[in-house]
Amino acid sequence: MGVVCVYAFPVPEGKSGQQVVDSLQKQVELLGAVKTGNFSVDCETYQANTQAGTLTTTPQRLIHVLHNSEQPASCFSVLDTGTTLIADVLFDVLIHKLTSGKAGKEAFYQQRKGSKMESKGPRYELSDFIIKIGSVSMASNFKGILVEVEYSPCSVPTECWNLMRELMQSFMGNVAETPPTLVKNKMDNFYLPGDTINQYLEHFTNFRKQTVMGQPIR
Amino acid sequence: MAENQTESLIQAIRCTQKLRASVANVFQSLADGCPVEKDNAVAAIGAFQESLLVVYNDFSDVEKVSSSLQPLSSVTPNSIYLSIDPAIDKLPVYQQIIQSYKWSNKVSDLAGYAASVMEPHAKSKRTTQYSSAQAKKVKRISPTGHAVAPTAVEACIARLTQKVPDISMKITHPLGSHAVLQLTLGRILKAQLALRGLIIERVNVRGLTETNLDESQMELWSRSKYDVFQKVTESATAAVLHFYFPHNAEMSLYTFLHWFQKFRTLFSAPCQKCGKHYLNGLPPTWRDLRSTEPYHDVCRQ
Repeated sequence: MGVVCVYAFPVPEGKSGQQVVDSLQKQVELLGAVKTGNFSVDCETYQANTQAGTLTTTPQRLIHVLHNSEQPASCFSVLDTGTTLIADVLFDVLIHKLTSGKAGKEAFYQQRKGSKMESKGPRYELSDFIIKIGSVSMASNFKGILVEVEYSPCSVPTECWNLMRELMQSFMGNVAETPPTLVKNKMDNFYLPGDTINQYLEHFTNFRKQTVMGQPIR
Repeated sequence: MAENQTESLIQAIRCTQKLRASVANVFQSLADGCPVEKDNAVAAIGAFQESLLVVYNDFSDVEKVSSSLQPLSSVTPNSIYLSIDPAIDKLPVYQQIIQSYKWSNKVSDLAGYAASVMEPHAKSKRTTQYSSAQAKKVKRISPTGHAVAPTAVEACIARLTQKVPDISMKITHPLGSHAVLQLTLGRILKAQLALRGLIIERVNVRGLTETNLDESQMELWSRSKYDVFQKVTESATAAVLHFYFPHNAEMSLYTFLHWFQKFRTLFSAPCQKCGKHYLNGLPPTWRDLRSTEPYHDVCRQ
Protein backbone atom coordinates (compact mmCIF):
# COMPACT_ATOMS: atom_id res chain seq x y z
CA MET A 1 0.00 0.00 0.00
CA GLY A 2 1.46 3.28 -1.07
CA VAL A 3 0.77 6.87 -0.21
CA VAL A 4 -2.45 8.29 -1.63
CA CYS A 5 -3.39 11.92 -2.14
CA VAL A 6 -6.96 12.83 -3.06
CA TYR A 7 -7.70 16.32 -4.33
CA ALA A 8 -10.94 17.99 -5.36
CA PHE A 9 -10.26 19.46 -8.78
CA PRO A 10 -12.18 22.70 -9.33
CA VAL A 11 -14.46 23.00 -12.33
CA PRO A 12 -14.04 26.45 -13.82
CA GLU A 13 -17.13 28.45 -14.76
CA GLY A 14 -18.38 27.95 -18.28
CA LYS A 15 -17.03 24.44 -18.48
CA SER A 16 -18.85 21.21 -17.88
CA GLY A 17 -17.46 18.54 -15.58
CA GLN A 18 -17.03 16.17 -18.50
CA GLN A 19 -14.86 18.68 -20.38
CA VAL A 20 -12.54 19.06 -17.40
CA VAL A 21 -12.33 15.29 -16.95
CA ASP A 22 -11.50 14.88 -20.62
CA SER A 23 -8.72 17.46 -20.53
CA LEU A 24 -7.28 15.86 -17.37
CA GLN A 25 -7.32 12.46 -19.04
CA LYS A 26 -5.56 13.87 -22.08
CA GLN A 27 -2.85 15.43 -19.92
CA VAL A 28 -2.29 12.26 -17.95
CA GLU A 29 -2.04 10.26 -21.16
CA LEU A 30 0.49 12.76 -22.49
CA LEU A 31 2.65 12.07 -19.44
CA GLY A 32 2.84 8.47 -20.59
CA ALA A 33 0.24 6.89 -18.35
CA VAL A 34 -1.57 3.76 -19.53
CA LYS A 35 -5.24 3.18 -18.88
CA THR A 36 -5.77 0.04 -16.85
CA GLY A 37 -9.53 -0.03 -16.38
CA ASN A 38 -12.03 1.81 -14.22
CA PHE A 39 -12.44 2.38 -10.53
CA SER A 40 -15.17 3.38 -8.15
CA VAL A 41 -15.47 4.47 -4.54
CA ASP A 42 -18.95 4.57 -3.09
CA CYS A 43 -20.31 5.77 0.20
CA GLU A 44 -23.63 5.18 1.89
CA THR A 45 -24.71 6.85 5.13
CA TYR A 46 -26.90 5.35 7.79
CA GLN A 47 -28.26 7.02 10.88
CA ALA A 48 -29.19 5.48 14.16
CA ASN A 49 -32.88 5.14 14.86
CA THR A 50 -33.21 7.17 18.03
CA GLN A 51 -36.70 5.94 18.82
CA ALA A 52 -35.47 2.42 18.89
CA GLY A 53 -32.55 3.19 21.16
CA THR A 54 -32.86 3.13 24.93
CA LEU A 55 -30.79 6.28 25.46
CA THR A 56 -32.84 9.04 23.90
CA THR A 57 -30.47 11.76 25.05
CA THR A 58 -27.62 10.68 22.81
CA PRO A 59 -27.33 12.72 19.64
CA GLN A 60 -28.06 11.11 16.33
CA ARG A 61 -25.23 8.78 15.39
CA LEU A 62 -24.11 8.35 11.78
CA ILE A 63 -22.28 5.49 10.18
CA HIS A 64 -20.73 5.75 6.73
CA VAL A 65 -20.21 2.55 4.79
CA LEU A 66 -17.75 2.80 1.94
CA HIS A 67 -16.31 0.46 -0.71
CA ASN A 68 -13.18 0.94 -2.74
CA SER A 69 -12.58 -1.00 -5.93
CA GLU A 70 -8.86 -1.03 -5.09
CA GLN A 71 -9.67 -3.24 -2.10
CA PRO A 72 -12.59 -5.21 -3.52
CA ALA A 73 -12.85 -7.73 -0.68
CA SER A 74 -13.11 -5.11 2.06
CA CYS A 75 -15.88 -2.95 3.42
CA PHE A 76 -14.98 0.23 5.28
CA SER A 77 -17.24 1.76 7.88
CA VAL A 78 -16.53 5.08 9.55
CA LEU A 79 -18.29 6.57 12.56
CA ASP A 80 -18.74 10.28 13.27
CA THR A 81 -16.01 10.04 15.85
CA GLY A 82 -13.57 8.96 13.19
CA THR A 83 -13.38 5.35 14.25
CA THR A 84 -12.72 3.31 11.15
CA LEU A 85 -13.57 -0.35 10.86
CA ILE A 86 -12.24 -2.40 8.00
CA ALA A 87 -14.16 -5.63 7.52
CA ASP A 88 -14.99 -8.22 4.87
CA VAL A 89 -17.64 -7.39 2.32
CA LEU A 90 -19.95 -9.61 4.36
CA PHE A 91 -20.28 -6.62 6.67
CA ASP A 92 -22.81 -5.35 4.12
CA VAL A 93 -25.11 -8.19 5.09
CA LEU A 94 -24.90 -7.19 8.75
CA ILE A 95 -25.75 -3.61 7.89
CA HIS A 96 -28.65 -4.86 5.82
CA LYS A 97 -29.93 -6.78 8.84
CA LEU A 98 -29.51 -3.78 11.12
CA THR A 99 -31.50 -1.57 8.77
CA SER A 100 -34.43 -3.91 8.27
CA GLY A 101 -37.05 -4.05 10.98
CA LYS A 102 -38.22 -7.41 12.16
CA ALA A 103 -41.52 -8.55 13.65
CA GLY A 104 -42.90 -5.18 14.56
CA LYS A 105 -39.64 -3.96 15.99
CA GLU A 106 -38.04 -0.94 14.44
CA ALA A 107 -34.61 -1.27 12.86
CA PHE A 108 -31.48 -0.01 14.64
CA TYR A 109 -30.28 2.01 11.65
CA GLN A 110 -31.99 3.56 8.71
CA GLN A 111 -30.54 4.70 5.43
CA ARG A 112 -30.42 8.40 4.71
CA LYS A 113 -32.37 9.08 1.59
CA GLY A 114 -30.50 10.38 -1.40
CA SER A 115 -27.23 10.25 0.45
CA LYS A 116 -25.44 7.68 -1.66
CA MET A 117 -22.33 9.21 -3.22
CA GLU A 118 -19.97 7.72 -5.71
CA SER A 119 -16.71 8.64 -7.42
CA LYS A 120 -16.20 6.81 -10.69
CA GLY A 121 -13.82 7.06 -13.59
CA PRO A 122 -10.78 5.73 -15.43
CA ARG A 123 -7.72 4.34 -13.67
CA TYR A 124 -4.25 5.01 -15.09
CA GLU A 125 -0.85 3.59 -14.33
CA LEU A 126 2.38 5.50 -14.86
CA SER A 127 5.33 3.37 -13.80
CA ASP A 128 4.71 2.97 -10.05
CA PHE A 129 2.10 5.72 -9.88
CA ILE A 130 -1.63 5.04 -10.02
CA ILE A 131 -3.78 7.97 -11.15
CA LYS A 132 -7.58 7.93 -10.87
CA ILE A 133 -9.80 10.65 -12.23
CA GLY A 134 -13.23 10.32 -10.69
CA SER A 135 -16.44 12.23 -11.31
CA VAL A 136 -18.43 12.49 -8.09
CA SER A 137 -22.15 12.01 -8.27
CA MET A 138 -24.80 12.11 -5.58
CA ALA A 139 -28.07 10.45 -6.51
CA SER A 140 -26.95 10.63 -10.16
CA ASN A 141 -26.28 14.37 -9.98
CA PHE A 142 -22.75 15.53 -10.92
CA LYS A 143 -21.05 17.14 -7.91
CA GLY A 144 -17.41 17.58 -8.83
CA ILE A 145 -14.13 15.94 -9.69
CA LEU A 146 -11.80 14.01 -7.38
CA VAL A 147 -8.29 13.16 -8.54
CA GLU A 148 -6.47 10.42 -6.67
CA VAL A 149 -2.72 9.83 -7.07
CA GLU A 150 -1.04 6.87 -5.42
CA TYR A 151 2.65 6.13 -5.22
CA SER A 152 2.72 2.45 -4.39
CA PRO A 153 6.37 1.62 -3.52
CA CYS A 154 6.57 4.01 -0.59
CA SER A 155 4.45 3.96 2.56
CA VAL A 156 5.70 7.03 4.40
CA PRO A 157 4.35 10.39 3.13
CA THR A 158 7.37 12.50 4.20
CA GLU A 159 9.69 10.38 2.08
CA CYS A 160 7.86 10.64 -1.20
CA TRP A 161 5.84 13.85 -0.91
CA ASN A 162 8.22 15.94 -3.02
CA LEU A 163 8.32 13.26 -5.69
CA MET A 164 4.52 13.04 -5.78
CA ARG A 165 4.13 16.80 -5.82
CA GLU A 166 6.31 17.10 -8.91
CA LEU A 167 4.18 14.59 -10.78
CA MET A 168 0.85 16.01 -9.58
CA GLN A 169 1.76 19.59 -10.36
CA SER A 170 2.68 18.55 -13.87
CA PHE A 171 -0.98 17.90 -14.68
CA MET A 172 -2.96 19.50 -11.84
CA GLY A 173 -1.09 22.73 -11.32
CA ASN A 174 -1.46 24.57 -8.03
CA VAL A 175 -4.17 22.28 -6.69
CA ALA A 176 -1.47 19.96 -5.37
CA GLU A 177 0.61 22.63 -3.62
CA THR A 178 0.28 21.12 -0.14
CA PRO A 179 -0.57 17.61 0.97
CA PRO A 180 -4.21 16.89 1.88
CA THR A 181 -4.87 17.73 5.55
CA LEU A 182 -5.34 14.12 6.49
CA VAL A 183 -1.98 13.18 4.99
CA LYS A 184 -0.38 16.27 6.47
CA ASN A 185 -1.42 15.18 9.96
CA LYS A 186 0.44 11.91 9.68
CA MET A 187 3.35 12.71 7.40
CA ASP A 188 5.76 10.57 9.40
CA ASN A 189 3.57 7.50 9.88
CA PHE A 190 2.84 4.54 7.72
CA TYR A 191 0.01 5.19 5.33
CA LEU A 192 -2.90 2.74 5.53
CA PRO A 193 -5.87 1.94 3.26
CA GLY A 194 -8.23 3.40 5.89
CA ASP A 195 -6.59 6.80 5.37
CA THR A 196 -7.63 6.80 1.73
CA ILE A 197 -11.23 6.09 2.71
CA ASN A 198 -11.16 8.93 5.25
CA GLN A 199 -9.87 11.30 2.58
CA TYR A 200 -12.73 10.32 0.28
CA LEU A 201 -15.24 10.66 3.09
CA GLU A 202 -13.96 14.12 3.89
CA HIS A 203 -14.41 15.19 0.28
CA PHE A 204 -17.87 13.57 0.08
CA THR A 205 -18.94 15.43 3.23
CA ASN A 206 -17.68 18.70 1.76
CA PHE A 207 -19.62 18.13 -1.45
CA ARG A 208 -22.73 17.35 0.60
CA LYS A 209 -22.32 20.49 2.70
CA GLN A 210 -21.98 22.62 -0.43
CA THR A 211 -25.25 21.18 -1.70
CA VAL A 212 -26.99 21.84 1.59
CA MET A 213 -25.78 25.43 1.66
CA GLY A 214 -26.94 25.81 -1.93
CA GLN A 215 -23.60 27.03 -3.18
CA PRO A 216 -22.77 26.56 -6.80
CA ILE A 217 -20.32 23.77 -7.35
CA ARG A 218 -17.03 25.09 -8.59
CA MET B 1 95.57 -13.61 -33.93
CA ALA B 2 96.64 -10.12 -34.90
CA GLU B 3 100.29 -11.05 -34.37
CA ASN B 4 99.81 -14.08 -36.54
CA GLN B 5 98.52 -11.90 -39.23
CA THR B 6 101.47 -9.47 -39.09
CA GLU B 7 103.88 -12.39 -39.24
CA SER B 8 102.19 -13.80 -42.29
CA LEU B 9 102.15 -10.31 -43.77
CA ILE B 10 105.87 -9.93 -43.26
CA GLN B 11 106.41 -13.34 -44.74
CA ALA B 12 104.25 -12.43 -47.72
CA ILE B 13 106.27 -9.27 -48.27
CA ARG B 14 109.47 -11.23 -48.13
CA CYS B 15 108.14 -13.77 -50.58
CA THR B 16 107.09 -10.99 -52.91
CA GLN B 17 110.51 -9.41 -52.65
CA LYS B 18 112.06 -12.79 -53.42
CA LEU B 19 109.80 -13.21 -56.43
CA ARG B 20 110.68 -9.76 -57.70
CA ALA B 21 114.34 -10.51 -57.25
CA SER B 22 114.14 -13.81 -59.11
CA VAL B 23 112.03 -12.30 -61.92
CA ALA B 24 114.53 -9.40 -62.19
CA ASN B 25 117.29 -11.96 -62.31
CA VAL B 26 115.61 -13.75 -65.25
CA PHE B 27 115.08 -10.54 -67.20
CA GLN B 28 118.61 -9.40 -66.36
CA SER B 29 120.13 -12.57 -67.76
CA LEU B 30 117.84 -12.27 -70.82
CA ALA B 31 118.83 -8.62 -71.36
CA ASP B 32 122.54 -9.24 -70.88
CA GLY B 33 122.54 -12.06 -73.31
CA CYS B 34 125.30 -14.60 -73.27
CA PRO B 35 127.86 -15.77 -75.66
CA VAL B 36 126.58 -19.08 -76.93
CA GLU B 37 129.13 -21.58 -77.83
CA LYS B 38 128.65 -25.02 -79.26
CA ASP B 39 129.15 -26.90 -76.06
CA ASN B 40 127.86 -24.11 -73.94
CA ALA B 41 124.30 -24.01 -75.40
CA VAL B 42 122.88 -26.83 -73.40
CA ALA B 43 124.40 -25.45 -70.19
CA ALA B 44 123.00 -21.92 -70.89
CA ILE B 45 119.50 -23.30 -71.48
CA GLY B 46 119.83 -25.32 -68.27
CA ALA B 47 120.81 -22.19 -66.30
CA PHE B 48 117.89 -20.22 -67.77
CA GLN B 49 115.50 -23.09 -66.96
CA GLU B 50 116.81 -23.12 -63.41
CA SER B 51 116.19 -19.41 -62.95
CA LEU B 52 112.65 -19.85 -64.31
CA LEU B 53 112.10 -22.67 -61.85
CA VAL B 54 113.14 -20.35 -59.02
CA VAL B 55 110.58 -17.83 -60.29
CA TYR B 56 107.95 -20.53 -60.40
CA ASN B 57 108.76 -21.67 -56.86
CA ASP B 58 108.77 -18.12 -55.55
CA PHE B 59 105.47 -17.46 -57.22
CA SER B 60 103.85 -20.51 -55.68
CA ASP B 61 105.23 -19.41 -52.29
CA VAL B 62 103.61 -16.01 -52.69
CA GLU B 63 100.36 -17.63 -53.65
CA LYS B 64 100.46 -19.88 -50.62
CA VAL B 65 101.16 -17.01 -48.22
CA SER B 66 98.56 -14.76 -49.81
CA SER B 67 95.91 -17.46 -49.42
CA SER B 68 96.72 -17.64 -45.72
CA LEU B 69 96.22 -13.87 -45.41
CA GLN B 70 92.71 -12.76 -44.38
CA PRO B 71 90.96 -9.90 -46.01
CA LEU B 72 90.72 -6.77 -43.89
CA SER B 73 87.83 -6.67 -41.43
CA SER B 74 84.47 -6.14 -43.05
CA VAL B 75 83.28 -4.11 -40.07
CA THR B 76 84.89 -0.98 -41.48
CA PRO B 77 84.74 -1.76 -45.18
CA ASN B 78 84.44 1.74 -46.49
CA SER B 79 86.86 3.28 -44.06
CA ILE B 80 89.53 1.21 -45.63
CA TYR B 81 89.69 3.78 -48.42
CA LEU B 82 90.79 6.33 -45.84
CA SER B 83 94.07 4.49 -45.60
CA ILE B 84 94.73 5.42 -49.23
CA ASP B 85 94.56 9.07 -48.30
CA PRO B 86 97.97 10.57 -49.14
CA ALA B 87 97.69 13.22 -46.40
CA ILE B 88 97.52 10.55 -43.72
CA ASP B 89 99.94 12.45 -41.49
CA LYS B 90 97.70 15.50 -41.32
CA LEU B 91 94.44 13.70 -40.71
CA PRO B 92 95.01 10.47 -38.82
CA VAL B 93 91.37 9.35 -39.00
CA TYR B 94 92.07 5.86 -40.18
CA GLN B 95 94.44 5.08 -37.34
CA GLN B 96 91.95 6.39 -34.85
CA ILE B 97 89.22 4.25 -36.36
CA ILE B 98 91.39 1.18 -36.21
CA GLN B 99 92.28 2.01 -32.60
CA SER B 100 88.72 2.42 -31.52
CA TYR B 101 87.70 -0.68 -33.41
CA LYS B 102 90.34 -2.67 -31.61
CA TRP B 103 89.30 -1.15 -28.30
CA SER B 104 85.64 -1.95 -28.79
CA ASN B 105 86.57 -5.46 -29.86
CA LYS B 106 88.51 -5.84 -26.65
CA VAL B 107 85.59 -4.53 -24.59
CA SER B 108 83.19 -6.95 -26.16
CA ASP B 109 85.64 -9.80 -25.54
CA LEU B 110 86.05 -8.82 -21.89
CA ALA B 111 82.32 -8.41 -21.51
CA GLY B 112 81.93 -11.93 -22.83
CA TYR B 113 84.35 -13.25 -20.21
CA ALA B 114 82.61 -11.26 -17.47
CA ALA B 115 79.22 -12.60 -18.56
CA SER B 116 80.46 -16.17 -18.45
CA VAL B 117 81.96 -15.62 -14.97
CA MET B 118 78.88 -13.92 -13.56
CA GLU B 119 76.28 -16.19 -15.11
CA PRO B 120 76.06 -18.79 -12.33
CA HIS B 121 75.64 -16.05 -9.67
CA ALA B 122 73.00 -14.26 -11.65
CA LYS B 123 71.14 -17.49 -12.24
CA SER B 124 70.95 -18.37 -8.57
CA LYS B 125 69.69 -14.89 -7.68
CA ARG B 126 67.07 -14.83 -10.37
CA THR B 127 65.72 -18.22 -9.52
CA THR B 128 65.10 -17.15 -5.92
CA GLN B 129 63.29 -14.00 -7.07
CA TYR B 130 61.22 -15.94 -9.53
CA SER B 131 60.14 -18.48 -6.95
CA SER B 132 58.95 -15.80 -4.51
CA ALA B 133 57.02 -14.05 -7.28
CA GLN B 134 55.47 -17.33 -8.18
CA ALA B 135 54.41 -17.89 -4.59
CA LYS B 136 52.65 -14.50 -4.60
CA LYS B 137 51.04 -15.31 -7.88
CA VAL B 138 49.68 -18.55 -6.51
CA LYS B 139 48.06 -16.62 -3.67
CA ARG B 140 46.59 -14.14 -6.12
CA ILE B 141 44.96 -16.84 -8.18
CA SER B 142 42.97 -18.31 -5.33
CA PRO B 143 40.95 -15.73 -3.40
CA THR B 144 39.65 -17.18 -0.19
CA GLY B 145 36.57 -15.01 0.26
CA HIS B 146 34.23 -17.85 -0.61
CA ALA B 147 35.72 -20.32 1.86
CA VAL B 148 35.00 -18.68 5.18
CA ALA B 149 33.63 -20.56 8.13
CA PRO B 150 30.01 -19.69 9.08
CA THR B 151 31.17 -18.48 12.51
CA ALA B 152 33.65 -16.10 10.89
CA VAL B 153 30.88 -14.83 8.62
CA GLU B 154 28.68 -14.13 11.60
CA ALA B 155 31.50 -12.35 13.41
CA CYS B 156 32.19 -10.24 10.34
CA ILE B 157 28.55 -9.30 9.94
CA ALA B 158 28.35 -8.38 13.61
CA ARG B 159 31.26 -5.99 13.03
CA LEU B 160 29.58 -4.58 9.94
CA THR B 161 26.33 -4.00 11.81
CA GLN B 162 28.16 -1.52 14.00
CA LYS B 163 29.88 0.12 11.07
CA VAL B 164 26.70 0.56 9.03
CA PRO B 165 24.08 1.54 11.59
CA ASP B 166 21.41 2.57 9.07
CA ILE B 167 20.88 -0.97 7.84
CA SER B 168 19.36 -3.60 10.08
CA MET B 169 20.69 -7.03 9.21
CA LYS B 170 19.46 -10.50 9.88
CA ILE B 171 21.33 -13.66 9.01
CA THR B 172 19.43 -16.67 7.75
CA HIS B 173 20.73 -19.96 6.44
CA PRO B 174 18.05 -21.24 4.11
CA LEU B 175 20.52 -22.94 1.78
CA GLY B 176 22.69 -24.81 4.25
CA SER B 177 25.96 -23.30 5.39
CA HIS B 178 25.95 -20.19 3.23
CA ALA B 179 24.24 -17.17 4.70
CA VAL B 180 21.50 -15.04 3.23
CA LEU B 181 21.42 -11.54 4.66
CA GLN B 182 18.05 -9.88 5.08
CA LEU B 183 18.61 -6.14 5.00
CA THR B 184 16.06 -3.56 5.97
CA LEU B 185 16.87 0.03 5.17
CA GLY B 186 14.84 2.37 7.30
CA ARG B 187 11.26 2.50 6.13
CA ILE B 188 12.24 2.44 2.48
CA LEU B 189 13.11 -1.01 1.26
CA LYS B 190 14.16 -4.55 1.98
CA ALA B 191 16.98 -6.40 0.30
CA GLN B 192 18.24 -9.97 0.23
CA LEU B 193 21.95 -10.59 -0.10
CA ALA B 194 22.98 -14.12 -0.98
CA LEU B 195 26.50 -14.74 0.32
CA ARG B 196 28.98 -17.41 -0.61
CA GLY B 197 31.36 -17.19 2.28
CA LEU B 198 31.74 -13.44 2.33
CA ILE B 199 31.38 -12.91 -1.41
CA ILE B 200 28.11 -11.41 -2.55
CA GLU B 201 26.49 -13.71 -5.07
CA ARG B 202 23.16 -11.99 -5.66
CA VAL B 203 21.27 -9.02 -4.45
CA ASN B 204 17.53 -8.52 -4.76
CA VAL B 205 15.76 -5.37 -3.65
CA ARG B 206 12.05 -5.29 -2.85
CA GLY B 207 9.54 -3.00 -1.28
CA LEU B 208 9.05 -2.83 2.45
CA THR B 209 5.47 -4.07 2.19
CA GLU B 210 6.05 -6.69 -0.47
CA THR B 211 5.51 -10.28 0.54
CA ASN B 212 5.80 -13.42 -1.47
CA LEU B 213 2.63 -14.99 -2.74
CA ASP B 214 3.68 -18.41 -1.47
CA GLU B 215 4.47 -16.99 1.98
CA SER B 216 8.02 -18.31 1.81
CA GLN B 217 10.89 -16.41 3.35
CA MET B 218 13.00 -16.79 0.22
CA GLU B 219 12.60 -13.57 -1.63
CA LEU B 220 15.80 -14.05 -3.57
CA TRP B 221 14.27 -15.09 -6.83
CA SER B 222 11.08 -13.08 -7.07
CA ARG B 223 11.56 -9.65 -8.55
CA SER B 224 9.83 -6.69 -7.06
CA LYS B 225 6.61 -5.70 -8.79
CA TYR B 226 7.58 -2.05 -8.58
CA ASP B 227 9.70 -0.48 -11.32
CA VAL B 228 11.68 1.58 -8.85
CA PHE B 229 12.95 -1.43 -6.90
CA GLN B 230 13.76 -3.31 -10.08
CA LYS B 231 15.94 -0.36 -11.07
CA VAL B 232 17.56 -0.31 -7.64
CA THR B 233 18.27 -4.04 -7.95
CA GLU B 234 20.03 -3.37 -11.24
CA SER B 235 22.09 -0.57 -9.71
CA ALA B 236 22.99 -2.72 -6.71
CA THR B 237 24.07 -5.63 -8.91
CA ALA B 238 26.33 -3.27 -10.83
CA ALA B 239 27.74 -1.99 -7.53
CA VAL B 240 28.44 -5.54 -6.30
CA LEU B 241 30.65 -6.05 -9.32
CA HIS B 242 32.27 -2.67 -8.84
CA PHE B 243 33.11 -3.20 -5.17
CA TYR B 244 34.50 -6.71 -5.63
CA PHE B 245 37.94 -7.17 -4.05
CA PRO B 246 39.09 -10.76 -4.46
CA HIS B 247 41.52 -10.64 -1.52
CA ASN B 248 39.47 -8.67 0.91
CA ALA B 249 35.94 -9.96 0.92
CA GLU B 250 35.05 -8.17 4.14
CA MET B 251 36.17 -4.89 2.60
CA SER B 252 34.04 -5.44 -0.48
CA LEU B 253 31.01 -6.29 1.66
CA TYR B 254 31.58 -3.20 3.78
CA THR B 255 32.02 -0.82 0.83
CA PHE B 256 28.90 -2.25 -0.78
CA LEU B 257 26.82 -1.80 2.37
CA HIS B 258 28.22 1.68 2.89
CA TRP B 259 27.12 2.58 -0.63
CA PHE B 260 23.80 0.79 -0.27
CA GLN B 261 22.74 2.66 2.87
CA LYS B 262 22.55 5.84 0.79
CA PHE B 263 19.30 4.49 -0.65
CA ARG B 264 17.74 5.63 2.58
CA THR B 265 16.89 8.81 0.68
CA LEU B 266 15.67 6.93 -2.39
CA PHE B 267 12.36 8.81 -2.57
CA SER B 268 13.33 12.06 -0.90
CA ALA B 269 16.65 13.10 -2.47
CA PRO B 270 16.61 15.16 -5.68
CA CYS B 271 18.87 14.34 -8.62
CA GLN B 272 22.23 16.12 -8.45
CA LYS B 273 22.19 16.93 -12.15
CA CYS B 274 18.67 18.05 -12.99
CA GLY B 275 17.66 19.00 -9.45
CA LYS B 276 14.31 17.22 -9.70
CA HIS B 277 12.81 14.22 -7.99
CA TYR B 278 10.53 12.93 -10.71
CA LEU B 279 11.68 11.74 -14.14
CA ASN B 280 9.84 9.21 -16.33
CA GLY B 281 7.86 7.86 -13.42
CA LEU B 282 10.89 7.19 -11.24
CA PRO B 283 12.86 8.94 -8.51
CA PRO B 284 16.69 9.12 -8.77
CA THR B 285 17.52 5.41 -8.62
CA TRP B 286 21.27 5.63 -9.12
CA ARG B 287 23.79 6.47 -6.43
CA ASP B 288 27.24 7.43 -7.66
CA LEU B 289 29.78 4.76 -6.77
CA ARG B 290 32.35 7.23 -5.43
CA SER B 291 30.46 10.26 -4.22
CA THR B 292 27.22 8.32 -3.43
CA GLU B 293 25.21 11.26 -4.76
CA PRO B 294 21.78 10.55 -6.23
CA TYR B 295 21.19 10.67 -9.98
CA HIS B 296 18.44 9.64 -12.34
CA ASP B 297 19.36 6.72 -14.52
CA VAL B 298 19.31 9.04 -17.53
CA CYS B 299 21.19 11.90 -15.83
CA ARG B 300 24.23 9.93 -14.69
CA GLN B 301 25.86 9.69 -18.10
